[in-house]
Amino acid sequence: MSEDDDRATPPAEPNYDDEFDAIVVGAGPAGSASALTMADAGLDVIMIERGAYPGAKNVFGGVLYTPTIRELTDIDDAPLERYVGEKRFGMLSPEDETAVSVKPNQWHQEPHNDSYTVLRGDFDEWFAEQAVEAGATLITETTVTDLIREDDGQIVGVDTDRPEGELRAPVVVLAEGGNSLVAEGADLKDPSPREDVAVAVKEVIEFPGDGNEIEDRFRLTEDSGVSYHYFGEGAVGDAFGGAFMYTNDDTVSIGLAYRIEDAVTSQPKPEQTLNEFKSHPAVAPLVRGGRTVEYSAKTIPEGGADAMPDLVHDGAVLVGDTAGLVLNNGVHLEGTNMAVESGYHAGNAIITAMANDRTDANALLEYPRNLEESFVVQNLERYEWLMETAVEDKDLLFRDLPRAIADASEEYFSIDRDPKAEHADEAKDRILQTIGGWSGAAKLAWRYRKVMTS
Amino acid sequence: MSTTQNSVDNASLEDRLYTVKYEDPGESHLDVKVTGICEERCRTDDCVDVCPADVWREGEDGVPHIAYENCLECSSCRFACPHNNVVWTYPENGSGVTYSFG
Ligand SMILES: Cc1cc2nc3c(=O)[nH]c(=O)nc-3n(C[C@H](O)[C@H](O)[C@H](O)COP(=O)(O)OP(=O)(O)OC[C@H]3O[C@@H](n4cnc5c(N)ncnc54)[C@H](O)[C@@H]3O)c2cc1C
Ligand code: SF4
Ligand code: SF4
Repeated sequence: MSEDDDRATPPAEPNYDDEFDAIVVGAGPAGSASALTMADAGLDVIMIERGAYPGAKNVFGGVLYTPTIRELTDIDDAPLERYVGEKRFGMLSPEDETAVSVKPNQWHQEPHNDSYTVLRGDFDEWFAEQAVEAGATLITETTVTDLIREDDGQIVGVDTDRPEGELRAPVVVLAEGGNSLVAEGADLKDPSPREDVAVAVKEVIEFPGDGNEIEDRFRLTEDSGVSYHYFGEGAVGDAFGGAFMYTNDDTVSIGLAYRIEDAVTSQPKPEQTLNEFKSHPAVAPLVRGGRTVEYSAKTIPEGGADAMPDLVHDGAVLVGDTAGLVLNNGVHLEGTNMAVESGYHAGNAIITAMANDRTDANALLEYPRNLEESFVVQNLERYEWLMETAVEDKDLLFRDLPRAIADASEEYFSIDRDPKAEHADEAKDRILQTIGGWSGAAKLAWRYRKVMTS
Repeated sequence: MSTTQNSVDNASLEDRLYTVKYEDPGESHLDVKVTGICEERCRTDDCVDVCPADVWREGEDGVPHIAYENCLECSSCRFACPHNNVVWTYPENGSGVTYSFG
């Protein structure tokens, strides 16, 4: 944990009017990536962050995906916790687990599949510092409250909660995260309906011991770590969502996320759902004896490609979670990489537009064009149907099937004096019964064929 | 649930909330727009159900009581209210919650 003392103190009353080419609202991964891109090209950028330091108010699950960050800066000194050497997917019925573990040896070699666990309090501060070293100005403890517009609608700056806190620049990058009060307040985006937003709660857990607690518990060597994903009733009750556990240097991040729609209908309070998940027989031994050192909560926009707002406006662009760029479908939970990639493309489009002395929406179109060709929009579109279909099949996928698979596995591997063939038949019958026989299985396979083939 | 040998000593919500640094902004950054909507139209208290920090609590007159000092700034209550009746702003000058880990 970093101490407060070495955090930069913000200027008491910043007054930088008209000195900047671009204002970035928010110093999360999207904001810092765009500020770094623009500062590298020689633009004067100011980044405004409401926390006492970048990351002070940020929360995520745990894995940072680094391909684009590696392009933007040297990540050797980044505060990375562990590289991900194992991914595991566990289906939890109320009492049982059936899991698949993926451990390619390749992941132990550099660049480790570009997946590292991080703590945002440390990482966001480091990444913002890279933008500052490239020449960007950062002010903290300052909240942007509104956008300033000319009569013709062109956005020309921001207002903040500082006395006389107006700042002007030809273009504003809205990198404020999923709780996009500024973008919504200025009508650049509609508030997301609650079916498209998940509530997430998380804990960081520490263990007493000799310092090798994490390695011992998760059977790790040196810097390798794990990312465990869980679904089913044992993870998030009746809700649509999933749970996670990630290993840090000497702590574990554990939490879960599910749709707000379910949180207000079928579920007990989020912290109660988290308690139940932590007490699941397959999960409890991994966290036993641990002490909660931090509890946190946040929302995740998960409306996907269909819910993306317009990305460019006269004098403003939307990036990262503000633009709804998160892939969250149980198998993947990725947003940091999309945030960085979008910040990078937005930054480049602004560099081009500024070179032509224009920052109206048309002049900024290079950003959405490049984003559409990047993995960001392509991945969102690829999985759009999956969320919709999975919502329709929610009970089957998250409740009935995990139960049936757990039952079937128990049956298949049960040791007694009956021949194995009988156990196998019985196990098969249990699964078939749940999914509606062979024709049900065929329909299900057809519905989800695109996971592997598209 | 038979978790006897595996059970976890889950901290209370109060203990959990102690783990974050909190600087009191001095006044609530959360409110309801129209109390009448909570009193008359809302039968759900969705704001109360979703809040992971027990900030929104059922009030006697149907208007939720807001213990803003515990707010984790997650924004769930804002999205949860079916009547778009939550006034949600950030605590001023970076006050409110600070996470060490995130
Ligand atoms: C529980 C959870 C688990 C997740 N797990 C993963 C994961 O394992 N891997 C992954 O890649 N992604 C994960 N995500 C998604 C990922 O966290 C986000 O997609 C990513 O952080 C988005 O980055 P951003 O820069 O767009 O927004 P944010 O990270 O939210 O940053 C926004 C910044 O803007 C600041 N800000 C906001 N409003 C203002 C304002 N008005 N004025 C000044 N500053 C402001 C905030 O303080 C913050 O620093 C997870 C998310 C959650 C909630
Ligand atoms: S959900 Fe909305 S309308 Fe209902 S009590 Fe809460 S704030 Fe009021
Ligand atoms: S923002 Fe989150 S923690 Fe704060 S009151 Fe709303 S739901 Fe509760």
